[in-house]
Amino acid sequence: MAADAILIVEDDPDDLELIQRALRKARVNNVTAVARDGEEALRLLLDGPDRLESLPLVVFLDIKLPRIDGLEVLTQVRSSTRTKTLPVVILTSSDEQEDLLRSYDLGANSFVRKPIEFAAFQKTVAEVGLYWLLINRNPRPA
Amino acid sequence: MALEAAIAERTRDLAIAVKEMESFTYSVAHDLRAPVRAINGFSRALLEDYGDQFAGEPLDYLLRISRASERMGQLIDDLLKLSQVGRGDVERTEVNLSVLAASAAARLTERLPDRDVRLAIQDGMNTRGDGRLLLIVLENLLDNAWKFTQRRETAEIRFFTTNEDGRRIFHIADNGSGFDTRYRHKLFAPFQRLHRADEFEGTGIGLVIVSRILARHGGDVWIDGIEDQGATVSFTLPERS
Repeated sequence: MAADAILIVEDDPDDLELIQRALRKARVNNVTAVARDGEEALRLLLDGPDRLESLPLVVFLDIKLPRIDGLEVLTQVRSSTRTKTLPVVILTSSDEQEDLLRSYDLGANSFVRKPIEFAAFQKTVAEVGLYWLLINRNPRPA
Repeated sequence: MALEAAIAERTRDLAIAVKEMESFTYSVAHDLRAPVRAINGFSRALLEDYGDQFAGEPLDYLLRISRASERMGQLIDDLLKLSQVGRGDVERTEVNLSVLAASAAARLTERLPDRDVRLAIQDGMNTRGDGRLLLIVLENLLDNAWKFTQRRETAEIRFFTTNEDGRRIFHIADNGSGFDTRYRHKLFAPFQRLHRADEFEGTGIGLVIVSRILARHGGDVWIDGIEDQGATVSFTLPERS
């Protein structure tokens, strides 16, 4: 995988297509890697045979995922030296205070609720995508 | 002993019911929003990417799908808001309602810069209550006042207090479209509206949220109005700590 990829962890195929479309429309041409559940996300990020060659620039992480949920993925990502500083944007349906607080407690960089309305959705995804790809630079692990 | 056992059982049942309600809400938040988002997203994407291939009836139908899904999204989000104001503790601190109202009004002015609104907020309306929840009350009431005065060249909106029989009453009055008082009882029921969708937008949840929050403070709310002349929403907030 290219060194400037975006990892999208999303089990809903419709949301996935909408996220990818929003990024395309915002001219974010980075390769996207996709994990369809938490287990797959961890296989791609943490040590093991399926690990991505280089870390993605940013991870879009849904909370409600089959098998291992997003908050557990975040916990494990933050406790590994390699992925400790990886930018993780929680991109989820919930706007429960509890989900928001727990996400930040566990080290999420942003918490973004997926809007229902299309224009707002498109704008939100484009903005967080561009922010983390262009403006924010995170230290790369040695 | 039998009574204690019965109470314990009731308490357990209640805890289960509350738990179920919470997981229901969570499921609405996550699971119901997703398909609505897809319907709205893909109907809009069709219009955006292939709009030139639609005209006449097909275009009209596509727009209807998209608008209906937007409306459903709004209803779901409003239901969630209603359930959120009903949960959590009411934290009472000193609150300046004048300041809260001014900040809510500033947001409305920013959102609707073309409106000519003469707003008068009485200074120093201090009380005790949950600032976060009371801001939601004022946002909803001012939002309504803004909305129902949209046909007036100059809207006049006032927020002030009166004292009646030793009771302090807060009022938000406007010179808007008012309402037919025969239907007053419907205003505080969820999703009841007194105006057609093409007259004024909205889902009919604002006053329900307002009355739920005030009830949680031990307060009361009522509304007076004259059709085509304006409406006044009045509320009380007991100041016990």
